[in-house]
Amino acid sequence: MSVSSTATEALQEDAPVAALRRTPWWANQRIGLLILVVLLSALFGVLRPAFFNQQLVVFPLLRDIAMFTVVGLAQLSVLSIGHMNLAVGRMAAFSMMITGISYDLWHFTLYSGLLVGLIAGTAIGALAGWVIARTGVNSFVVTLALDFLLLGLIPLVYTALTDNAAFVTKPPGMRELRNYSLADICVGNVCGSPAVPQLAIFAVVAMAVVGWIFTRTRLGRELLMTGSSVRAAELSGIPTARRVIVAHAMSGCLAALAGFMLAISTGSIKATIGAEFMLPSFLGPILGGTLLAGGFVSIWGTLLGTALTTVIRKGLDLLGVGLESLNIYLGLILLVALSTDRIRTVLSERQGVRRR
Amino acid sequence: MNVTFRRTAVCLATVALVAGCTTKNTGDSGGTSTGDDASTSTSSGPVTLKDGSKVKLALIPGGAHPYFQPWKSTGQQDKTEFKLGDVTFNETSEWDQGKQNNVINSLAAQGYNAFGIFGVSPTDINSTFEDLKAKGFAVGSLASCPAGNANSADFCLSTDVETAAYKAAKATIAAIGGQGTIVHLTGNNVDSNTQRRIAGVKKAVAETGGKVTELPVITDIDTDLSTAQKAVADLLASKGKDIKGIVTTAYNPAVAAADGVAGSKLPIKVVAIDDDAKILAGIKSGGVAATVTQNPVGQAYVGAWLLALLQSKQCTMKDPGVIVDSGSFVVTKANVDTYDQERQAKTKELQTEFASHLSCQ
Repeated sequence: MSVSSTATEALQEDAPVAALRRTPWWANQRIGLLILVVLLSALFGVLRPAFFNQQLVVFPLLRDIAMFTVVGLAQLSVLSIGHMNLAVGRMAAFSMMITGISYDLWHFTLYSGLLVGLIAGTAIGALAGWVIARTGVNSFVVTLALDFLLLGLIPLVYTALTDNAAFVTKPPGMRELRNYSLADICVGNVCGSPAVPQLAIFAVVAMAVVGWIFTRTRLGRELLMTGSSVRAAELSGIPTARRVIVAHAMSGCLAALAGFMLAISTGSIKATIGAEFMLPSFLGPILGGTLLAGGFVSIWGTLLGTALTTVIRKGLDLLGVGLESLNIYLGLILLVALSTDRIRTVLSERQGVRRR
Repeated sequence: MNVTFRRTAVCLATVALVAGCTTKNTGDSGGTSTGDDASTSTSSGPVTLKDGSKVKLALIPGGAHPYFQPWKSTGQQDKTEFKLGDVTFNETSEWDQGKQNNVINSLAAQGYNAFGIFGVSPTDINSTFEDLKAKGFAVGSLASCPAGNANSADFCLSTDVETAAYKAAKATIAAIGGQGTIVHLTGNNVDSNTQRRIAGVKKAVAETGGKVTELPVITDIDTDLSTAQKAVADLLASKGKDIKGIVTTAYNPAVAAADGVAGSKLPIKVVAIDDDAKILAGIKSGGVAATVTQNPVGQAYVGAWLLALLQSKQCTMKDPGVIVDSGSFVVTKANVDTYDQERQAKTKELQTEFASHLSCQ
């Protein structure tokens, strides 16, 4: 096992960190994204002062950012080992179906239902990971197949168990969680901001846990090593098959959490939960610097990447951009954002060469 | 390792979670404000709007769809006729409840204060209505009512989809001479409105006492025209000779079935939905036996009038959440040129009907 830790340290210390040391602060992708989000928010705020309306704009905006960040983290977990989870949305739907059953049929409380959902998500994710590890089939194919399987299964269950293709039982606390902000949480006489939804706490906890796993634990380092090179990781004594299962289980668990957040924010648990998750699940992490090939993840980047797309969409909404133009503008702004990022990287590289 | 993460995040989260936080019981969440107390006086005819200048109306469908296009022009008619402050039509919800909620909130932030909404998700939309009501806005559920028995909007003005599907199935059964096999083509299976449509068709089939049988319902083919065309082609190829009638209760399957049957030369009777130009042409040429049209113009016109009365505080609902059928009309070759008059008459009738649900100053 000492081999594993030496290999980890070698990978950890040498190349990437050295590369980071050479990079000036302004070329850091995360800082670039942060500046972009702030600038765009300011621009939209100037054009439409309503952009800073706490109750009607900032609160729902933060609720969306929180939810899609968790969706992004679900994808990030498998991207860390160089895999993909195309069933991320359907895993959320499956987990929430179990949660819905627990509310409707077993009369569980809000949080025990969430726990059941998280366990279901972890289990379905672990199943995907197990199939991938066992058969050696590409994660793209396995999760795509799983997506189809769940696409057929979920409506069947909903049709059999519900009248309206949705579980409409609302356990106590669900309505409140949807509307409550940090202003409803007080320590003594000091209360939080009314613009920050309580649902955002779930995203903060998810970010903290995922961040802790990837930065502070051996498991996280082993996942990233598996993503960098499966062969090297195996030679270092890392049980890569088990790490694949763990990464997919984490992805399933986070997808379940995102599904729960969506169910809370829209109002009921329905079969179509997660149908819109797949593209944003890649967009946040990739914009934030997580590599598709594996071996590198960025939790803050996922938050900022998600924030960027959500802020752009909200701003365009407020500017009254019509349906035809909205997606064109969204695409163009993202393209410009990514291009400036590339320009920054090239400039910093040139500067580095000149210094040498 | 290259993970960009700071210990501070963990600390912040931990502090937030364990620092003895308490949830303040504000008691104001979810409360509704139904407007001023208006002196009660019931009108027997349509109520005239006194001042709509402070009313900014937003008509919000679930996404882009030909059905809602009349809302756009009717909205402008509302603006001039009722002298409303402003009217907007926003179809950027992309059939996603989360996106629709965002669109609604953005419009509210820009000063819109009366909302006519086609909710994307009938099981979720009551939560959205409750949010809007709690903020003091007038809300009407247009073209679709929330699932279940409760409607949290001020009113719901919509086609009774089960009745419309029942009428369509009855028209199909009549077209095939009361005997044979029919098939029902419709939209998203996991949508409560689709479930109601399926129930409506089943009811009409059951009434024939076994003379008419129904093949398994074909669902989820209203996403786009090509999906519907493929499903119709597959259906005609595999069971075309056994089928005597096709009843459609969604737009794309209706157009695809009309085209598909005309192309195949099979003696199948098609009953469509809505009055798209293609479908009306099919009725005139005899390729389509009948269509069941709805009343989108009436929904936008009467909905806007009612929302303006409520938001200007001229009237309040006597029975908030009342559900009214905006009407569905069977159109055949016999009445294809005159059905719109019937629809306009229904729209006028709706205003009179709603007047009895209002309490006005």
